[in-house]
Amino acid sequence: MTLFLEQIVNGLVLGGIYALIAVGYTMVYGVIQLINFAHGEIFMFGAYFTFLCLAVLKFPLWLAVLASILLCALMGVVIDLIAYRPLRNAPRLSALITAIGISLILQNLARMIWGAEPRRDLANAKSAFLSQTVIIPGGAQLSYLDLSIIILAILLMVGLNRLISLTRIGKAMRACAQDKMAASLMGIDTNRVIGATFAIGSALGAVAGIMVGMRETIEPTMGYYKGVAAFAAAVLGGIGNITGAMLGGVVLGIAEVLGAGYISSGYRVAISYILMILVIVFRPAGLLGRASAKRA
Amino acid sequence: MKQQTLIETAPYRALCRLEIGHICSALRSSLVLLLIFSAAFLLTAQEAEAAKTIKVAVAGPFTGSVAAFGEMIKKGAQLRAKEINGNGGINSKELELIFEDDTGKDKEASLVATRIASNKKILAVVGHFNSSCSLAGKPIYKRNRIVELSPGSTNVNVCKGSDYTFRNLYRDDFQGSFSAKYIKGVLTDVKTVAVFFDNDDYGRGLRDSFKQSAEKAGLAIVADEAYDRDTTDYKAQLTKIKSASPDLIFIAGLYSQAGLILSQARESGITAQFFGADGVDSPKLLEIAGEAANGIYITTPFIFGLEGNEEAQRVAIAFEQEFGKAPDTWAALTYDAVGMIVEAIEKRGESRKAIRDHLGSLTSPEKGYQGITGLTYFDENGDCLKPAYVKQVVNGKFVAAKVQFLD
Repeated sequence: MTLFLEQIVNGLVLGGIYALIAVGYTMVYGVIQLINFAHGEIFMFGAYFTFLCLAVLKFPLWLAVLASILLCALMGVVIDLIAYRPLRNAPRLSALITAIGISLILQNLARMIWGAEPRRDLANAKSAFLSQTVIIPGGAQLSYLDLSIIILAILLMVGLNRLISLTRIGKAMRACAQDKMAASLMGIDTNRVIGATFAIGSALGAVAGIMVGMRETIEPTMGYYKGVAAFAAAVLGGIGNITGAMLGGVVLGIAEVLGAGYISSGYRVAISYILMILVIVFRPAGLLGRASAKRA
Repeated sequence: MKQQTLIETAPYRALCRLEIGHICSALRSSLVLLLIFSAAFLLTAQEAEAAKTIKVAVAGPFTGSVAAFGEMIKKGAQLRAKEINGNGGINSKELELIFEDDTGKDKEASLVATRIASNKKILAVVGHFNSSCSLAGKPIYKRNRIVELSPGSTNVNVCKGSDYTFRNLYRDDFQGSFSAKYIKGVLTDVKTVAVFFDNDDYGRGLRDSFKQSAEKAGLAIVADEAYDRDTTDYKAQLTKIKSASPDLIFIAGLYSQAGLILSQARESGITAQFFGADGVDSPKLLEIAGEAANGIYITTPFIFGLEGNEEAQRVAIAFEQEFGKAPDTWAALTYDAVGMIVEAIEKRGESRKAIRDHLGSLTSPEKGYQGITGLTYFDENGDCLKPAYVKQVVNGKFVAAKVQFLD
């Protein structure tokens, strides 16, 4: 029983990370129907920016984290401004290919600046408190860092949900997701809304990047592997649906861990993708996605 | 029939309609052609001049997640080349090393192998490092009759089935059974063992041979888990291993993942003894794992600083003077591998075949090559019989383990 509980906790940590990244994919898709492949790289830069602020600018940890989140939000907006906005009315495929290009550029840029070696600088910089372990009821043992990943993921998800459903900008986002043309006719500055979407998604991605950097290692390819998994989570949950992305992330994280724990660790990654394919076969729109009429 | 004449006359008509613009563009394109030809001519002239050097390729993971190995391989080769060229080169020609990056991935390695093999000026290859990469390059090198001498691949199958692939270190079946014997003989508290392996050629091969020998030696295998090199979260497998409560965990993988595994294992409350093979033998392991690395035993083909090896001491000092850091096992093996290729060229001549014939003739200890890492000679596969050493991490440093098994 303890073993099962521990695996569930492992799955929740992984799922929380996936969910934080998946939300970025799904929000952008919801508003402009673009799969922003560069999102994984923003996640990676979140970790590197923090490392940079700590190592070069000698910021204290909290300030470095804050600065990195802001930088990533800015980065998301700038990418949209430079790469995607000029293609807003171009065929969807052009924007998709641009996204892949941006992803490659950013990944190789990181490799050029910081090298391909995995780094533990962030893990070493985290406060000693976070590395301590705690035993939760049921006998599962986890570090304070893992515990705070789960809690932070839940808080951020709830916050995002409130933001989308209660604030003016949230309302504007929902309007844009429904029909961008109609929204702009109603006087909504769609470019501003899209910019805000990129900023929020990128900030959440940065949080995930910093967490992973503290927990594992930072390297230029981290965004690719985690990004693909998170994208799968977004699809699993129903792309374009924010609650779906959260659910998809958690389901995928738990599936991966249970697959490794109870079926075969050699097929750990394969198991989660098989799950995704099965969901897509039986529910093409994903777990929470609505089968909608094709968008214009 | 009629159609055919139409087609035939089309160019003629076009010729008739030639206008000044067409002539201009024709001139322009011929000018471009002329430029290209003259550039090509200049290049070949330069190449002819450069043929005064002897080219040997060094292929390894110079970037990517195992780049720390590549760095040591590069430096070991550079040091040897510098020494050789400082002593008048090979037959008074300069030795030129061509570094090719396979990033530690088999797909990239086959591209690199094709590039090397098709350059006829390159006489031999020192590399690859990863077993998967050596295996990927093997058929290409065999087809093009060029020697591949690996200073790092230990998978059992690397040298089988090709007369052109050699290595100057032991095989994983030896390493696996050696580790099992060492655990049984020296770490006598250990009764139960878990295996955690990288799901590639190196990891799987090592795990198979270790498992077999460990069972034969009477150790109980209580867990056997795989991981993927691209993942950085191992908690799921570690939780499973922890529930089997082994006395010792054997890692068959590479340093960057092993480092993370060590620190995540300590976080999950695993207190078992760790044991790794040569894939984790890199100073980077200490950087990644931090304190969690303390205590781990590692088998390795070579240790600097053993008594009685003065040549190795000299190389270690020269290496440190040149690069500002201490050499590791892989630098030493590459240093020797380059030396072997150079000896082959000096003794038999400057051709791919001569090098292969020379290495093929080193079949007994008397004929073997004496390098800093010991005596290298080959069996019919191109495998070599060399001893394994054991080191341990103590207070964040590699030290030779108190007990060595050398028989």
